[in-house]
Amino acid sequence: MDNILKTTGMKKSLGKSLLYTLPMFLITFMFLTGGKPNFSDTASGIALLTVFILVNVLFFFMHFTGKTDKYRAVLFIVFALSLSYALINNMLEVRKAMYFSQADILECKIPFCHLVIPMMILPAAFTKSIIFPGSIIGGFANISSMVVLWLVATLVLGRGFCSWGCFYGGWDDGFSRIRKRPVIKKINELWKWMPYAVLIMVILSAALTLMPTYCSWICPFKAVTEFEQVTSVESATKAGIFLSLFGGLVIVLPVMTKKRTQCSFLCPLGAINSLSNKITPFTVKIDKSACNECFKCVGVCPLYALSKEDIRSGKVSIFCSKCGKCMDACPQNAIHYGIKGVPSGTLKNFSRNLFLFVSYLFMAVFSAGSIINTFHGLLKFIF
Amino acid sequence: MKKTKIIAGIFWAFLGLIVFIILFPGLNNFSVSVSKLPFMKINPRYTGGEKAYHLVAEKCTLDIRRPVFNGFLKESNSGFVQIDWRGDLPALINDSIDYNGDGEKDFFIQINRKNLKTDLKSFNPKVKDVVISTPTSYGWAVRVGLLKE
Repeated sequence: MDNILKTTGMKKSLGKSLLYTLPMFLITFMFLTGGKPNFSDTASGIALLTVFILVNVLFFFMHFTGKTDKYRAVLFIVFALSLSYALINNMLEVRKAMYFSQADILECKIPFCHLVIPMMILPAAFTKSIIFPGSIIGGFANISSMVVLWLVATLVLGRGFCSWGCFYGGWDDGFSRIRKRPVIKKINELWKWMPYAVLIMVILSAALTLMPTYCSWICPFKAVTEFEQVTSVESATKAGIFLSLFGGLVIVLPVMTKKRTQCSFLCPLGAINSLSNKITPFTVKIDKSACNECFKCVGVCPLYALSKEDIRSGKVSIFCSKCGKCMDACPQNAIHYGIKGVPSGTLKNFSRNLFLFVSYLFMAVFSAGSIINTFHGLLKFIF
Repeated sequence: MKKTKIIAGIFWAFLGLIVFIILFPGLNNFSVSVSKLPFMKINPRYTGGEKAYHLVAEKCTLDIRRPVFNGFLKESNSGFVQIDWRGDLPALINDSIDYNGDGEKDFFIQINRKNLKTDLKSFNPKVKDVVISTPTSYGWAVRVGLLKE
């Protein structure tokens, strides 16, 4: 059976690539337009059409070239930038400022994001309430929708959420691609366990204080979304921490190391997502019979998810976000997307096609709204 | 066994695909269902607590909420009471508040909306200080710190 199923090479012919793109084309068309494209406003029409074409062209090239990460990263980075733009734009429209005031907290008007989820768990269980001043349902970035999106995505993709669904990951992913070669080549890999320490710390501190402590004190992405109005030494300290962590972990270290250091060393949600890698149907497998141990995959992995020992043992670690960078680097096609239960080295193309369709569909539909809004805003600003 | 594992894995993967295809069209319905779960309500520390009683003045209303002492495993020793003024508010708000409904005024509060200054005069040793005093979209809100009785 193994011989029948064994295939190599992920490139496809033009016709086959178009055929594989067709379902994505139709589904994204339905999701983005509701089946009835509205071109009454020229700017909206252009924005919608551009994003629709961008999404499908990138998917086509994934099949045509056999490369995954190269095209995934484009949409992922654009998603991160546009989501920050959408959040800031919403803030400026609603509050005329990028900061939120005490009144916004009292009126529960703070947009919710998935990074709050780890801190919600214990208080939800013990106090039967959510410790976040947002909207449960309705309005911009409500809690229920974000919980559903994250939960489903994490159950299906595992830590793949961090490379196919997280609207912050694109920031350090983008900065990690700026230099051709890393300046800092070695970082003690024990740091990759740090997110678990942060996770435990924020879960406990949030439970004890009934405050989303990560959001209040640590989150680097406050620098590009919304933050508390600076009115005291405490709020100034928080703003300083946000900016320092954003500068250090999202800009400087990714540029110097070519790694996603915020995702690798800080993000508590990434720690939960990596645990969910154990139950998802999709995984990354190493075909030991094809691997010549060149370890190119180890060098390019942006999340320190691969080590030489992992390659020798034929298993990737739970830190893997299924971004596909290792597969793009592997000259032997030895590392590949797989499905749990299916032996490594078999059904490579089938597993890749299925995983790409599922994960890319999620990213495309999840990101399209904010990218269209951003593009629409830019068009209006220019013309 | 090997074939069974393969089939089970592929079935699980296809199930993921189906879930994703129905996720976005059904997101509103799923979200409404999730929002009805018993723990899906905002903690009173953020909402300010339930309304205890409501006073009506000439042009504005005054909502006095139940004191909030929420803690993780047990109630906290310190908390707050939130008061909301709604409607056409005067430039200078003067009100005496009985937050615990015992018929006796617990504190007097004066808010100067022009210079954003809030003064508190406590008649009850359990009343501490002004925690928050801020204009809101509906008028004005104040949180007064309390010690548990």
